[in-house]
Amino acid sequence: MGLKMGKIKTDASVCRECQACTLACSLYHEGECNLSLARLQVIKDMARYEFQILICQHCESPECLAACPSEAIVLNEQGVAVIRDDVCVRCGACAEACPYGVLFYNEARDRYLKCDLCAGRPDGPLCVAICPVGALVLEDRVTEEA
Amino acid sequence: MAGGWTGKILDVDLTTGKISWRDTHRYTRDYLGGRAIASRIAWDEIPDGIDAFDPENRIIITTGPLTGTLAPTSGRTVMSGLSPRLYPKTWYTHSTLGGWFGAEMKYAGFDGIVIQGKSPRPVYLEMRDGHARLVDAGDLWGMDARQTQITLKERMGAQAQILAIGPAGENLVRFSTVQHAEDNAAGHSGFGAVWGSKNLKAIAIRGTNGVAVAHPERLMREVLELGTYKIAPFSGALYTSLYTKTKTAREHRPVCSQACTFNCQVGNYGKASDGRRIPGHCVGGIAWMTPDFLKATQYSGGGVEIPPARNFGMCEEAELHELCNSLGLDSWFRLVMQPWFVRCQQLGVHQIRGYTFDPNDVYWFEQFMRDLAYRRGLGALFADDLMRAMDELEGELPEELIALGRRLEFAFGFPAHREGRFWDEEPLPFWVISAMMYASETRDPTIGGHHSSLMLADFVLADHEVGRRQLRILSEKVWGDPDALEPTFEGKAPVAIWSQHQHMLIDSFPLCDFSFPRIIVPPESREEWLAAEDLTGDLDIDLRLFAAVTGIELSRAEVFWIAERAFTLERLMLARAGRHRQMEEQWLAPHFMLPCRVDGTSIDPEGFARILDEYLAARGWDLEYGWPTAETLRRLGLEDAIPTLEAYRRERTRLIPSESPLAVHLSS
Repeated sequence: MGLKMGKIKTDASVCRECQACTLACSLYHEGECNLSLARLQVIKDMARYEFQILICQHCESPECLAACPSEAIVLNEQGVAVIRDDVCVRCGACAEACPYGVLFYNEARDRYLKCDLCAGRPDGPLCVAICPVGALVLEDRVTEEA
Repeated sequence: MAGGWTGKILDVDLTTGKISWRDTHRYTRDYLGGRAIASRIAWDEIPDGIDAFDPENRIIITTGPLTGTLAPTSGRTVMSGLSPRLYPKTWYTHSTLGGWFGAEMKYAGFDGIVIQGKSPRPVYLEMRDGHARLVDAGDLWGMDARQTQITLKERMGAQAQILAIGPAGENLVRFSTVQHAEDNAAGHSGFGAVWGSKNLKAIAIRGTNGVAVAHPERLMREVLELGTYKIAPFSGALYTSLYTKTKTAREHRPVCSQACTFNCQVGNYGKASDGRRIPGHCVGGIAWMTPDFLKATQYSGGGVEIPPARNFGMCEEAELHELCNSLGLDSWFRLVMQPWFVRCQQLGVHQIRGYTFDPNDVYWFEQFMRDLAYRRGLGALFADDLMRAMDELEGELPEELIALGRRLEFAFGFPAHREGRFWDEEPLPFWVISAMMYASETRDPTIGGHHSSLMLADFVLADHEVGRRQLRILSEKVWGDPDALEPTFEGKAPVAIWSQHQHMLIDSFPLCDFSFPRIIVPPESREEWLAAEDLTGDLDIDLRLFAAVTGIELSRAEVFWIAERAFTLERLMLARAGRHRQMEEQWLAPHFMLPCRVDGTSIDPEGFARILDEYLAARGWDLEYGWPTAETLRRLGLEDAIPTLEAYRRERTRLIPSESPLAVHLSS
């Protein structure tokens, strides 16, 4: 039996910084529109007019999970690494270990944030559904269980 | 939990350096947000009898309850105050801008900013999460608007959002902008010069909080159902005409506002010579980047000749567009000045006060833009805009050129727009609706025209028979009168008033005026449109988005009452400036005597007086001054304004002289 996992592939070259993805993300997860509480970030370099989309790459062997000293990062039923906020001790080891720099610390709330592919949402990740230019695409992938 | 507003409006006195705040909820029940709140603050606080450059003029920057949320196109900001562009004297108006600034201001904890006074030295306002301070801007003064933003982002982080003026604003050019991001601007109203007069270089904001949403799931559902619309050209003549719904808009057009999930046909990318993409919108975007766009300014009729002007090539246009935004000039200046200089050449005028010009040469034009921004040479003469330049040059140039200059900015200094002659294809009755708006509003009927006139006019232009049949059904549903959009001169006031109130609401929630209200159902194709019986769209999306965010359910009648009250306060600001019906009639009527560019229709001065009578009666404004009656003010809960307005009626010296500057040309 295979574990079904997914990954959001990004194409920053078509992004235009409407922030619909980050707004939808924070609205879904936190019930408010707050770019600093989103599980992904869109950043523009104004001088070059270039964009960066920062979002969890859902590594097959998540280094964040391995680095967490308090077992606050676990694989959920879909095989997605998620943060258990009630267990997290805010040490920051996960964010430091992440090779892509996509675990975000929200200072105001003292919380670490990570994409969970909108765990439990039947129609899949909201950011993918709402992106009007296809800069975010869900790639399914199946990995064989060892 | 209620959502939407943050609850604070920042007050900044640049003279004393004092910074404080007031409670937004003093205004929200009666004025919602944005442009409507600004109208109340302006009436209460901008002193009577001052000019736009008086330190006591206010810069009122407002967002609305939807700004910063997922509501599509809601990331907008409104700027209001006395505008130096207006002629013959400055009065209150507004400019709206898209972008990311308003949202960041909400995330920093503020719904708006009211700025007064004049700083003794150049400063910028820095705002971070609930805090604000004035910072010396000696090192930024003289820098262009783009570089100012990049510099402040280096200080505050890439996510900081900035409003800044360029050299044009610093040098008090009357059509200078306040710029934001690549090509967002509070442009038309010349507020850059007001900032310059106050020694205010920029406002830089970084906010890390959020906007509360009363019903998150409901908001999400509304947005997903709305989908990603494409605003597509329809008849081919126009660019903003209708929306087709597509699952994913993959044409990769830029957006001009946070939370815009639409694919807007008035946005486009250009390319700089160093390979960078340059986004542009509307006149600064698709327009400047469309070959031969400036041929569309050509007009010939009623003794008026406006020659076509030349586009300079796609790459050149993109770079000129960026230069325009860096200098901080309202890009509309080009639509009037370039053809005017071409006409000079045609009439054998090749130099003015010793300065030669070549308006169709890109090198000359680029230099002219810089000269405008720095008030050098010929630029110094035109930096006060075409109307004032014509006053200056009267007697030096052939009469036709002076008259043409005055006609190009016939609307009290604003370039012609939505009036069906020089600019925009508006057949009867749409230009009649625009004429009513010109005579009653603080500025050109930019956006009321976009949805109520232009978009619908496009159907009639595409197929007269089909369009007219569909509009009769739509008119019955929206205005309760199948004849509301019939090509006649009578009975158009209800559409004009409806458009003005819708526009006030769109600027106050706020939402994009190109996209809302959704007066029609977007057909997928021309074939589908031709087969459609009824085009009437979903007009209450704005109220549902508002309810989802704030938790407050309002009816159309309730929000229209709010819109009418705010619109009336704007009219009171015009009364304060001395604008009145007789003057409006005499200044505007000559323009509408010219034949309409698409159907040749026109109106004589007697007819023009009749359409104003109809409009004023429908508004409950008096026929003599065109000002609200005491009864109307009472109905709107504006009793407190009655004594002031009565005093204005007794002061005949307050009134701007009725005789139009065009009168001299018309009688000769």
